[in-house]
Amino acid sequence: MAKAQQINPEGARWLQVLGVSMPLCLSYVPIGVACGILLHSAGMNFLLTFLVSVMVFSGGAQFILASLLMLDAPISSIFMTLFFLELRYALLGSSLSKYMQNESQRFVWLFSVSMNDENYAVNYLKFATDKNWTPKDALLVEHYSLLSWAGGNMVGGLIGSAVHIDLEIVDFALTALFLYMIVMQVRNHLSLLISLVSAVLAVIFLSLTKSTLGIIIATLIASFIGFMIENTVRQRSDHPDDAWIMRKLFRPASSRDTISDRQEKDREAEVEAELKAELKEKLQNDAKTDEAASDSAAVKQESKKSSGDK
Amino acid sequence: MSDLLTGMPVLSLVPSHHNLTYHLIVIVIAAIAAFIPRYFPMRFFTNRKIPLWFNEWMKYVPVSLFTALVVKSIFMSKTYAFVPFGHVSQILAAVIVMIVAYFTRSMAVSVIGGLAAVWLISLVI
Repeated sequence: MAKAQQINPEGARWLQVLGVSMPLCLSYVPIGVACGILLHSAGMNFLLTFLVSVMVFSGGAQFILASLLMLDAPISSIFMTLFFLELRYALLGSSLSKYMQNESQRFVWLFSVSMNDENYAVNYLKFATDKNWTPKDALLVEHYSLLSWAGGNMVGGLIGSAVHIDLEIVDFALTALFLYMIVMQVRNHLSLLISLVSAVLAVIFLSLTKSTLGIIIATLIASFIGFMIENTVRQRSDHPDDAWIMRKLFRPASSRDTISDRQEKDREAEVEAELKAELKEKLQNDAKTDEAASDSAAVKQESKKSSGDK
Repeated sequence: MSDLLTGMPVLSLVPSHHNLTYHLIVIVIAAIAAFIPRYFPMRFFTNRKIPLWFNEWMKYVPVSLFTALVVKSIFMSKTYAFVPFGHVSQILAAVIVMIVAYFTRSMAVSVIGGLAAVWLISLVI
């Protein structure tokens, strides 16, 4: 904490948000470089690579776009594949929309064009746990991640001709990223179960549809099952959080007390203290208003009397 | 249009058999495909009250989606056939990534570790 104060003595918000998005930005660079190399081998120069990364800004879509370009796929199938792949943003966007209800249409537009999986994860977590997190901070996280992503893409586009890397290995960067996000999302028995259900459904529907549409179907069904199970448990059980399926999974001691965990604890203590203070104030206020009410009633009666006298 | 573009110096940077116009069209198409599902649902829901059940449902979307995407890249072939052991090095590397992510909880370490693992394993296998 002392170090953070040294770097940022005035507590400037843009620096604080940069601190929040730094892990994301740093991990975007190698993946961005990998994606840039792939796009280069698909025949794009570094300026076009930059243009794609700004206009599309989606790791998965850009990796797939590169492989489709290499296969000389027709434009119509490029559109359909990307559209179905990006359909997941419909779900991500609507789950964030409750935090955007006071924002202008222009802001919503600006926010949605640069939203993607990873900065969504960061923002969703911050919105859910940090009550001081504003939509403007969230937009800033998106723009920082866009900056490092586009930078990584351009570097990849530039070095793509100089180095020869096995593209299958580079492609794995995206899988590793998704795996990391699964591990971070799986917090209780139910989410682990849903993850397994989704894996089975994905295999079934991908082989049935022969397109990325299978991913959308599997996602919708698996998440709906999760919702139904949680709903049922919450209705049937007196202590839903103690039910086996909702119980938290064991996490290693070294990682259990992460910064976010500690912040969460601090925040809980803070909220409790605030609640107590509020309650105290309320009690005092109530006492005061009681007095005031009796006072004002007395005044009214007097004024009535005086007006009656007139 | 193509005459105009060939006159531009940018074209000399294009290293492939595709031309610049084609790539620009592809980029615009890709941008539209990415924009529609991002913008319209979000705009729709910022004007309306979202039902509680919808929010509860959305809670399980990320984990389901990421699992489905990982399954697609590891267990499915390019023609969408199920290949349980088609990419052995990726399966092993995926296990390593999960262990690394579980203990370090760091995105950068997980991704770079995963790339190193898949590279090393592919050298051995």
